[in-house]
Formats: sequence, structure tokens, C-alpha cells
Amino acid sequence: MTDFTPCIWAFLACIPFGAVMNLRGKTLLFASLGGGIGWFFYLLCNPLHNDIMQYFIAMIAISVYSEIMARLFKMPVTGFLLAAMLPMVPGGGIYYTMEYCVIGNNQMFIETGLHTLGIAGALAMGTLLVSSLVRLWHIITEEKKI
Amino acid sequence: MLRMNYDELITLATDVGCLLLANGAEIYRVEESMQRIFRAYGVHTGEIFAIPTCINVTIVTPQGKPVTLIRRIPVRGTNLDRVERGNALCRRICSERPDFKTVRREISMIEHRPVFGLGFQIVMFALVAFFFTLFFGGDFSDAVCSMFCGAVIKIVCHYMNKFNANPFFVNIVASFAAAAMVMCAAQFDMALNIDKVIIGALMNLVPGIAITSFMRDIIAGDLMAGLIRFTESMLVATAIAIGAGIALTLSRMIWGV
Repeated sequence: MTDFTPCIWAFLACIPFGAVMNLRGKTLLFASLGGGIGWFFYLLCNPLHNDIMQYFIAMIAISVYSEIMARLFKMPVTGFLLAAMLPMVPGGGIYYTMEYCVIGNNQMFIETGLHTLGIAGALAMGTLLVSSLVRLWHIITEEKKI
Repeated sequence: MLRMNYDELITLATDVGCLLLANGAEIYRVEESMQRIFRAYGVHTGEIFAIPTCINVTIVTPQGKPVTLIRRIPVRGTNLDRVERGNALCRRICSERPDFKTVRREISMIEHRPVFGLGFQIVMFALVAFFFTLFFGGDFSDAVCSMFCGAVIKIVCHYMNKFNANPFFVNIVASFAAAAMVMCAAQFDMALNIDKVIIGALMNLVPGIAITSFMRDIIAGDLMAGLIRFTESMLVATAIAIGAGIALTLSRMIWGV
């Protein structure tokens, strides 16, 4: 059984971070909720045993959530996305890469570094996929109207 | 309709663009907003080129006279509240076409919207560090230690920014200060999970914003802007690693852990 408490910590951590970026009120609350939801999806996909894939799926969940919320609140998507994706950012990866570099363990240094890059790539691909599809959908529906 | 003052129009549109860009909006949003403003006032020849550090605009008046404006953006930050308001203002301009004076007043009103004070921000940074340490699997005492590091990061950043230090150096110093604090604390409390504490505190500096927005810029076709942001995020990540790395190496040399 996976322990889901980190979702709560992710949610709570996003609140002050969003506040630093001057998100306010309901937007702040729902953007932070996105952070929790993202990590929930990450943990949900634990059986995959492939954390890059997990990050990718979680990022898709976050992007979809952000697009929906942006439509509901009539606000730019960026705000929701920025706050919600924070727990996904590979801060740990950067740190461990640096630590291996300092110790002088070159093999692990390269390995962790590439893994971190992979995670960043997965995150980018996740947002890319969703926002491209949304744009496509927009263009198609607007053409129908004409 | 009375004669349009095109100089005024282009300055105004650039002000709106600047407001959006300097507060962390995506490039395509900036360019699209400015284009819409021009169209709302009947200019269909607006050419806009924006990158995160600069906006170039040229419009051609109906008399065939080109007007150009270049605006550098020296300081960028993230203030999503202002982006949101700027966006709303842009929508209003397009639908109501208010006169220039009203728009100017609105812009300065948005620019003067209150931001959170230093004290509040320090507390927020501390809380981010606190929760992220728990998130990464640290225990409660780790989180409390990390909280102080988070506060120190904000204080260091604030004072260095005051002296216009370059962002690369600011990140190195902030990350060094946080990591050094943790290493000193570790000398008194051996049970501390050093890595969890440092990662939690450093999440405040990690370039999540740059990573997402560079991808979004590239998707939208603004390759130049995307590359700039990509370089920026790599620099920040390197700076964080260097800062923490120096602290770790030093502590190894001094205490031999």
C-alpha cells in the first residue's frame, strides 16, 4: 500500500510558494491543490516502477487540471501550472548530482545527472502534449464556428 | 473619428507588453496581446518581436509612415497577480477601446498594486522549505531546521538584489548560505538528514518557473525566447549546485565528515 501523505505536504508546500508569486485567494488554493493532485498521480503510478514515466503522467494530470481551472476562473494557465508543478521539479536530482560530483564518484554523477535531465524532459513533454492538444482543439472548434 | 496619435498608441501598447513580460507572462501572450491592442485601434500592420529581455515593435500608420519602439526589460520577476490584471486590462481595451488616458491610469494602477512585504515573504520561504523537507521524507526536526535555512535564503536574496548583484552570483551565495547552515547544525545534531534538509530549503531557488515557461515558449514557436529561458534555467541549476557544493566540500575539509 502506497503512503499518500506526501500529497498533503505537496499541497501545503505549494500554498506559500504561490503566495510568493502573488497568487491570491481562490486561485492560490486551487493552484496548490493541483500540486497535491499531481503527486497523487505520481504515487498512483508507482506500480510502473519507472519514475520518468510517473513524472510524465503526473505532469499530464497537472496540465489538464490547470487548463480546466484556467477556463473556469478565466485566468492565464501559467499561474496554475507554475504553482502546481513545483513538487515535480527535480530539486533532489540536482542536489544528488552535485553531491556525487563533490565526492568524486563520476559514474554516479553522470548517471544521476542524466536521470535528472530525463525527469526535466518528461515534465516538459507532459506540458507540451497537453497544451498542444488544447491549442489544436481551440483551432478546430473556432473553424467550425466560421 | 479624430486623428489617432500613433506615437501614443505604440508607447501604450508597449507599456502593456512590458507589464506582462516583466512579471512572467509567456512570450506568445505578450505578442498576441499587443497585436490585439493595435487591431482594436485600427492598426493592422503591427510587427512585434519579443524575447524575455526586450520588446521590439513597429507599426505602419495609414499614411505609410513606420513607427518603431524598442524597450529593454532589465528586471524580471514573477508576479502572477499583475499578469492576470494585465491580461484582463488587455481584454477590456479590445472590447471597449477606452481612450489612452484611461488605459495609462489603469496600467499605473496595476503597477502600484501592493506586493507582499519582506517579512511575509521570509515566512513564506520558510514554510516552503518546511513542507518540502517533509515532502521529501525528512522528519519533523529536519523540517524545523530547514525552515531557518529557507528564511536565510530569502534574506540573502533580498539584500543581494538590493545591490544589483547578478542572479547567478545571488543563487550561489544563497545556496551556499543555506547549505553551510545545515552543515553547522549537523555538527550539533548527528541525527539530521542533511540531504533532505538542504533539498527542502533549496526548492525555493529551483528554476521550476524557467523550465515550464521555456517549454511553453518553444511550443508556441518562440525558439529564441525558449533558448534564452533554457539557458537561464541551466544557469540557475548550476549556481545552486555550485553553492551547495562549496559548502559540502568546506565542511568535509573542516570536520572531515
